[in-house]
Amino acid sequence: MTTQPEKLNFDVLIIGGGIAGIEAAINIANNGFKVILAEKDLTIGGKMLLLSKVFPTLDCSACITTPKISEADRHPNITIFTNTEITSIEKQDATYFKANLVKHTRFVEEEDCTGCQLCEEACPVVVPDQYQYGMVGRKAAYIPFNIASPRVATIDIDNCILCGACEKACPTHCINFMQADKNYRLIVKSVIVATGFKLFDATKIQRYQYGTAKNIINAMQMERLLAPTRPYNHVIRPGDGRVPDKIAYVLCTGSRDFTVGNPICSQICCMYSLKQAQLLMGALPMADVTIYYISIRSFGKGFEEFYEQAKSMGINFVKGKIGNITEKENGNLILRYEDVASGRLKESEHDLVVLSVGVVPNEDASSLFGDAEWKQDAFHFPLQKDLLFNPSLSNINGIFMAGTTTGPMDIPDAILSAGAASMEAIQYIQKTAL
Amino acid sequence: MKQKIGVYICHCGGNISDYVDVEKVRQAVIDEPGVALVENTMFACADSNQKKMLDDIKQQQLDGVVVASCSPKLHQPTFQSVVERAGLNKYNYIHANIREQVSWPHSDDKAGATAKAIQLVKAAIAKVRLAESIEPMQIETEQAVLVVGAGIAGMKAAIALAKTGTQVYLIEREHFIGGRIAQWDVLCTTDETGKELVTRLYNEVKACKNIVLFTGAEMIENHGSKGNFKISIRIKPRYIQKHCNDGRLQKAIEVCPVEIEDEFNFNITKRKAIYHNFPSEYPHAAVIDMEHCTRCGECLKICDQINLDQEEERLELKVGSILVATGFDPYEPVEGEFGYQAFDNVVTLPQFKRLVANSEHKLYWKGKRVRNIGYIYCVGSRQTNGDNKYCSRYCCTSTIYAAIKAGEKIKDLNHFHFTRGIRTYGKQEVLYHEASLQGQLFFQSPDDDLPKVETKNSKTIIKVNDLLSLNHSIETEVDLVVLVTGMVPRHNNTVSEILKIPKGRDHFFNEIHMKLRPVETVIDGVSIAGCCQGPKNVVESINSALSAAIKCYSLVSQSHLQVEPIVAGVDEQLCEWCGLCADSCPFDAIHMSQTPAKQTALVNEAVCKGCGMCLPVCPTNAIQLNTYSDPEIESMIQTLASDL
Amino acid sequence: MAALTTKKARILVFSTEKISDPAIDMAGLLKLHYPPSVYTISLPCSSSVKPRWIIHAFENGFDGVFIAADGSDCPYGESCTEKTAQIVRKTQEIMKAQQIEPAKLRMAAICSVCSEAFVKQMKSFHAYLLTQQTIAL
Ligand SMILES: Cc1cc2nc3c(=O)[nH]c(=O)nc-3n(C[C@H](O)[C@H](O)[C@H](O)COP(=O)(O)OP(=O)(O)OC[C@H]3O[C@@H](n4cnc5c(N)ncnc54)[C@H](O)[C@@H]3O)c2cc1C
Ligand code: SF4
Ligand code: SF4
Repeated sequence: MTTQPEKLNFDVLIIGGGIAGIEAAINIANNGFKVILAEKDLTIGGKMLLLSKVFPTLDCSACITTPKISEADRHPNITIFTNTEITSIEKQDATYFKANLVKHTRFVEEEDCTGCQLCEEACPVVVPDQYQYGMVGRKAAYIPFNIASPRVATIDIDNCILCGACEKACPTHCINFMQADKNYRLIVKSVIVATGFKLFDATKIQRYQYGTAKNIINAMQMERLLAPTRPYNHVIRPGDGRVPDKIAYVLCTGSRDFTVGNPICSQICCMYSLKQAQLLMGALPMADVTIYYISIRSFGKGFEEFYEQAKSMGINFVKGKIGNITEKENGNLILRYEDVASGRLKESEHDLVVLSVGVVPNEDASSLFGDAEWKQDAFHFPLQKDLLFNPSLSNINGIFMAGTTTGPMDIPDAILSAGAASMEAIQYIQKTAL
Repeated sequence: MKQKIGVYICHCGGNISDYVDVEKVRQAVIDEPGVALVENTMFACADSNQKKMLDDIKQQQLDGVVVASCSPKLHQPTFQSVVERAGLNKYNYIHANIREQVSWPHSDDKAGATAKAIQLVKAAIAKVRLAESIEPMQIETEQAVLVVGAGIAGMKAAIALAKTGTQVYLIEREHFIGGRIAQWDVLCTTDETGKELVTRLYNEVKACKNIVLFTGAEMIENHGSKGNFKISIRIKPRYIQKHCNDGRLQKAIEVCPVEIEDEFNFNITKRKAIYHNFPSEYPHAAVIDMEHCTRCGECLKICDQINLDQEEERLELKVGSILVATGFDPYEPVEGEFGYQAFDNVVTLPQFKRLVANSEHKLYWKGKRVRNIGYIYCVGSRQTNGDNKYCSRYCCTSTIYAAIKAGEKIKDLNHFHFTRGIRTYGKQEVLYHEASLQGQLFFQSPDDDLPKVETKNSKTIIKVNDLLSLNHSIETEVDLVVLVTGMVPRHNNTVSEILKIPKGRDHFFNEIHMKLRPVETVIDGVSIAGCCQGPKNVVESINSALSAAIKCYSLVSQSHLQVEPIVAGVDEQLCEWCGLCADSCPFDAIHMSQTPAKQTALVNEAVCKGCGMCLPVCPTNAIQLNTYSDPEIESMIQTLASDL
Repeated sequence: MAALTTKKARILVFSTEKISDPAIDMAGLLKLHYPPSVYTISLPCSSSVKPRWIIHAFENGFDGVFIAADGSDCPYGESCTEKTAQIVRKTQEIMKAQQIEPAKLRMAAICSVCSEAFVKQMKSFHAYLLTQQTIAL
């Protein structure tokens, strides 16, 4: 059953609704241009919406993100498509691009869903919750999390058993198992790629035992444990639900490491580890937190002061690279490392290990452009053709890049790069209009 | 006072009606004064109900509307727009939150929830009864932007703004544009030179007809605010008129008897009082440095285009927004800091970069051959005792890159890096790796035990207790010590006082919000870009410049600015002008106004953000905030308390 | 004693649109319970509460007034915490003069996700106000 795609016109297509995509959308829309923001996930907000607090201000991440999200959501010049995939983008001439989009079905009429969660209560199926990084379960009929935007339900059809319980429970009758994917064909003048980054997959370093040892988590999981929309009400270790009291951070996991093919520094992990360590000291005053590092890179505005604060709070810093981690029978972990201060190999025992995983490129965009070649740099991030003069320009004229698409950065840097991409896109549109 | 108020109470498909007896609420409010109609609805936000509301308002000529449903964060804008579509001003709409604040938190107490819902709806009715239409405020804007500082950030922003068709005034305090970048040679990581980059920028600036560039120009005064700044600038003369030909000028420079240190080369070379600014001189025009000119008249004898009595000019510029990109100063080490000025072979990183730029094949400093170079990092940054606690961000990478590039140009150099832990963040990490592979040596000193520079038998020694080799004390003999100086805020930057831009703990300009609004300031209409906000490299400066540009653009892209009409207003009768309100306003929106009768406070509505901080401080209660006036708030309080 | 359990104390909360309202809303979303005799009036900023409004609330029968302050999250500036505290001090003086127990006015910073903190505050304030009522009886 193929339906004719609906045709739509916009000035700018923004791919990815993380903080960078949202900022770019607002910037462009505020100047009177029409923007479509296409997000693959069920909610916009990207990773920032899932973080606990942000360094170095320790502002709650969700609370500073949601106002931006609602601004974008309400903006008359912004159209947001979630659960949407771009399938192709073709440059037509100097003035416009054609893009094909699929808006995947949620099996729920978005406009009618009031977010009451009654379907969720009714659904009998429980699967791991991807928004809690697998630490707890969710239903097959579900709303991603409380502050998701849009806050509407989705039926996870792969796990749904078609029992119809949700349909009966829904007071607005908005669940519709016949709803199909919708195709769209867009004409846009410029494109901004803001597809963000991926987290390094720590299972690639087998000697760290991530995925096999129960009490080793990655930093994103720790963000969730500390966030206001957290899975449990306390920081606990996943293996046995015990409150940990000797926690280790392994910095540079998957970064500055030729053996995993990623020689660059991820530039955020030192700082987020310092942040989490401070939050842990607050949540578990009796706990011991040790950070194993190569060098602490607290280089941004207010960062060095933040590092000093962490030291004064009693967080332990050990300079040394972790060789391997082994799990004991009681679920505790033995870290073997080279201690730079003494020049010796040492071992230490911890009951929870957090891997400060780095940033790796999201290569989604590389397959979108058909004949026009999408070039990458040596680290598989998209090429910045004119780095010093126009950092947001890709190798295709008219396509700009925002946020962590082009490399690791923290939130303010992502905002700045989104500002740059949106300013360049506006100039580009106005130039081609002449 | 409203006579025909329509009230809609939502079931929210059970979310409300399961815990709140909606019908009872309807009954309870139907006889409230002014209420013309009360309806229950399954979903207030549904299209069908919106249509019904629209019809009701039109047909029954309702003059006020209340919807009691979910949080106003979700649907207040929806219902405001319904009211507007029906031809009513949106401020005649009041929302009551009976889901997030009633049915859900009190799902354990249905009677209590219903009672509370009744009070909340009654209070909303009480408020809407007093509501008044407020027209959105529009201010006419000057569709022009002032960019202060013509370094890379300022120039890039000016070009971007100009390309959108905006009129741009670009003012530069120095006689030459380019800022610091003009002083650098190759730049990481593309190997473009500073000169090339500045040339590209300057050519684009010149190509944009709607950029007016003033050099030697400084801001001296501001009257006005967002949308309508009136900025006075002062333009210093060059003392040389347009048509002095190059040959004669060259001679004039030769005869000038004054020799001073050349700041462009960070004082490692000399120049005359009449001078060119090689190698990246834009605009291409010489200038006389009046501070050092002795008015001896030698140059006048050679060229009649020189005029030592040229006068400064003053201009007023009218702009809608301002972009400040005044950059940084390199940290100037104090005398004796790591041997600075105590030994004659201690230079700063900027000086070293100029030295390498001016050298070929072999490196000489003060006539002596340089082979071994020791770099001491974090000078003026990350100070344990001094004021500068912050890391300057650019310098680790910049130094390693400078060392690699020096090594490519001059083959026989050995590099020794005395660091506090290298911070080549992001992709720059590969430079660190490359330097290590080349055999450059890195040491790391503890934060509380910094390297020492000493002389022994007329040799310069750097001593360090190296963390990377079990704290062993290491002595290295070097020919040149390079102090890796950080960035500090520009001194005598008067722009911040004139525009009232706040500074942070680190004394750089402060943004409004460190995470999400890094280029805007609390001064509406003023944004900050580049290193005046904090240390940055070239790419980061360009990004921040363009971000600031788009924020400025959105203030001038339309001929009018909409401003939120929720503002404070002063009752002239009651006001005794004590100034307390003016002090309490975080936005400097209140000033004294002199009427024939008396002095009173006056609120600049274009600047007022409607926070209400001035309300409680007024001793005569002369200030009211739109939509939060005493009658409105007090009638709500009274109504809420009336459930006795 | 039976009378005590059914008794309620009325609390007026001055909340703020950008900061504490979201937290109070979220308390509802999470179905965290607090006494239904808590009513909120929301304002742009917690530093805009006029002392006369607070007095007005007591005069009209409210047992307690709570200011859900923006604290350091205030979108209008850093001076907010200090200014709200000033309002509280000033009002408590007026309260004393009018023989109203100053402890019946409370303030605490409620950030935009401080739902649990808000509920805790409401419960303990409510409990306190009830003890005040028994003393009065
Ligand atoms: C554990 C951890 C802690 C952190 N803590 C902090 C902190 O305290 N402070 C700080 O400043 N920074 C922090 N960061 C960094 C911060 O998360 C990033 O700087 C920020 O999220 C980058 O935003 P972005 O929009 O570039 O990318 P993302 O947040 O990754 O957003 C990209 C968006 O694009 C969507 N997308 C991806 N591919 C496609 C596609 N093909 N089509 C459509 N949409 C697509 C994604 O679903 C996502 O919504 C932290 C990061 C981590 C991992
Ligand atoms: S930021 Fe820190 S932890 Fe992350 S890769 Fe760089 S040095 Fe390692
Ligand atoms: S960037 Fe490197 S040299 Fe510069 S202050 Fe930071 S740590 Fe020191």
